Amino acid sequence: MNYPFWDVPIIGSGWVLGGIAIFHVMVSHFAVGGGLYLPLAERKARLEGRDDWLEVLKKHSKFFLVLTGVFGAVTGVAIWFSIGLANPEATSTLIHNFVFGWAIEYVFFLVELTTAAIYYYTWDKISPGLHLKIGYLYAATSWLTLVIINGILTFMLTPGATWLGVAGSGSEASVFWYAFFNPTYFPSLILRTLVAVSLAAVWALVTTSRIDGFTQGKLKTSIVRWSVKWLIPSFLLMPVAFAWYLYMVPESGRQLMNLGISTIGAGTFTHVTRAILVSVMASATIAALAYFVAYRNPRTFKTGWALSVLFLAFAATAATEQAREMLRKPFVIGQFMYSNGIRKSEVEKFNREGYLTHTMWLSPETPDSPYRKVGGLPEADRTLLKGELMFRGQCASCHTRDGYRALGSLLRDRDEKSIRNIVQTLHEYKEDSPYRAFMPPLVGKEDEIEALVQYLRTLNAAPPKPEAPATQTARVDR
Amino acid sequence: MQASLSQEPKKRLAAVYDWADERLGLTGIIDLARHKTVPDHKYSFWYYWGGISLFFFIVQVFSGILLLVYYRAGADAYESVRQITYDIKFGWLVRSAHSWSANLMVLAVFVHLFSVLFMKAYRKPREFGWWSGLILLGLTMVFGFSGYLLPMDDLAYFATKVGLEIPASIPLVGDLITNIVRGGQDVSEVTIQRFFALHVVILPLMYIPFLGFHLFLVQKHGNALPPSEEAKPMSERRFIRFFPDFFAKDMGMWLIALNILAILASLYPWQLGKQADPLASAPEGIHPEWYFMSQFQILKVFGRWFPGAAGEALGMLLFTAALVVLVLIPFLDPGSKSGRRARTVTYIGLGLLLGLIFTTIWGYWEV
Repeated sequence: MNYPFWDVPIIGSGWVLGGIAIFHVMVSHFAVGGGLYLPLAERKARLEGRDDWLEVLKKHSKFFLVLTGVFGAVTGVAIWFSIGLANPEATSTLIHNFVFGWAIEYVFFLVELTTAAIYYYTWDKISPGLHLKIGYLYAATSWLTLVIINGILTFMLTPGATWLGVAGSGSEASVFWYAFFNPTYFPSLILRTLVAVSLAAVWALVTTSRIDGFTQGKLKTSIVRWSVKWLIPSFLLMPVAFAWYLYMVPESGRQLMNLGISTIGAGTFTHVTRAILVSVMASATIAALAYFVAYRNPRTFKTGWALSVLFLAFAATAATEQAREMLRKPFVIGQFMYSNGIRKSEVEKFNREGYLTHTMWLSPETPDSPYRKVGGLPEADRTLLKGELMFRGQCASCHTRDGYRALGSLLRDRDEKSIRNIVQTLHEYKEDSPYRAFMPPLVGKEDEIEALVQYLRTLNAAPPKPEAPATQTARVDR
Repeated sequence: MQASLSQEPKKRLAAVYDWADERLGLTGIIDLARHKTVPDHKYSFWYYWGGISLFFFIVQVFSGILLLVYYRAGADAYESVRQITYDIKFGWLVRSAHSWSANLMVLAVFVHLFSVLFMKAYRKPREFGWWSGLILLGLTMVFGFSGYLLPMDDLAYFATKVGLEIPASIPLVGDLITNIVRGGQDVSEVTIQRFFALHVVILPLMYIPFLGFHLFLVQKHGNALPPSEEAKPMSERRFIRFFPDFFAKDMGMWLIALNILAILASLYPWQLGKQADPLASAPEGIHPEWYFMSQFQILKVFGRWFPGAAGEALGMLLFTAALVVLVLIPFLDPGSKSGRRARTVTYIGLGLLLGLIFTTIWGYWEV
């Protein structure tokens, strides 16, 4: 077990978390939007005496319960496991500040799960009025879970000046609500609520597409068209909410996006711009398909089409979430902690006194610390082990050796001098350095920086020499 | 007054329409589209793949014309592609879209071929549709092969070199044909010039008439019913209008295809390697594009099993036999009249498909 530095080959720890989180976002936002869709659809059906709608809604609520109650909950817990492993320092900071917030969310979540089950199991068993009230209670509590988690997510991008003023003093909890209602809180809440409403439509299209349009043409037409209309608020208001959100993100984030847009022609545009491009394009396609294929031809709208819309929604959601993560660069908690878990306030100290001796998981005082092995190794192996520990501590949260964002290929064709130049530029971290927009500083004493250079040299060496004795000895358990 | 003003543009539009209708017979075409129907059943999804192939072909034509503005065949080939990729605004996007859509087009054509085969859409009276489709598939693959060399980076150079081993292994005339195509004993600037002429003049001149013929046949015979649908009585069969219902869905599919293309082209831009150096040794694990990998692997394995010319001859014999079987498929279907499933053809199709997939994966495994 190599905890706490989670060394995931090929995809990196970020994508383990990303893969789980994207799936969770698709399901959890559906839990919020679909929670409102169900009682409103039931209300309409009862007011208009549409018993055929009620039959469809019963099936939809079963699908809803299984998807959100099982897959939503399981992936939510999986996110906890993965963030704890991927970035223990940032997770620790969140827990120390927001444990009260999570307690509130847990209460809402408990009510949410309970009401979802009661709603499904009491169709035709309690009065329609009471059944509807349970549906509304579900809708309210599921939205309130979003209200809470949104505060924590947005805190990571914009913790706000008040919290940053007390950060590290031990009295952060005294400004809990300032951190919670941070600058991007409200635009993000509106954006996520709109996404939830549109995902309600997207998932509803999946279940309603299964109705036979030839034998139940009128039913399918009415319910497919009504579901499509749930996309309208999102497409009208999303651009406004997004503009507000962008206005509130830090200037550095906006610059990263502007830089991306201005360099599209030259093909060097930033990853955040590419992700936004995919999001906008997939969203526009959803609108076109929803209108031309579903709304105009509801009878022949089949499951394959509904799944295509779902796939596009998945692409749009994944790209948007990725863009949001990118905007935070080079921090994991804005202006406080860099993406590799090093606090901004610790940089000088680590440069002066050394990174490896001070970082909690590697310190020679820590039992089983791989750093303890350094002393007993020959000089060359000692350097490579130190270099690898530097890589794992400061690079591996975003880069892999030979997979996603592989340093092996990013440094391909570079000689030792060239690698040293890059590493030194990141270490010096000058005000005008272009890397400051997305890379954290490299910290450590000169011998540690040099050890990293030597280790990186082994990653881009072609052909790789896995049997080289120095590297073999330097590898720590993983 | 207001009413007459708003009526005026409509009247003018109607007059223009009437003028064009008299000369082109537009009403007849619209009526035809309105009355035309498309079968609707659980396999309808496979009807879209011909259209998707056509969409990628259209992208190829437009992006190809844009590339033609800056591309210079011959000694300057690499430098011109370098300029397109790095210096010219949006050049990277056009090139990337061209390369990705070429690959997606080959994939779509293969899916179309196998869906037609398994749905038995080659049966009477659609035999010419099947044959013209086979010709289009062959031309598509040659399009891909000839286009791959044009950037003349190291990967293109060596992949073309090994790719040309496939025609070179044709018994007796293989070397002659390969030398004519290559313009000598080795891949050089002359080869680029020849491949360029093939890619932008000869192949389009051959492709477009066959494509027109193929589309004419699709329009003439309509969409074929799979045997399981044919077995149903008329009262149980379902149809949707071609226009606007099927047309809207077809356009929806094109939109999804455009999305996939745009995602690939913008997130994974097509790379340009180092300039080809004929004197350098080939990069490790060099192989042709994925759609030739199967043939490449078969030749490689046969060469191992049967050293000398015998391996190559056997490989070519196998390819020829597969091609002959594909051509003769409409005649191998004994159940065409009764509407029963033609099991023989299903087994042949499965054998071909699994063989292609297996040898392609095997090829990549050994790289």
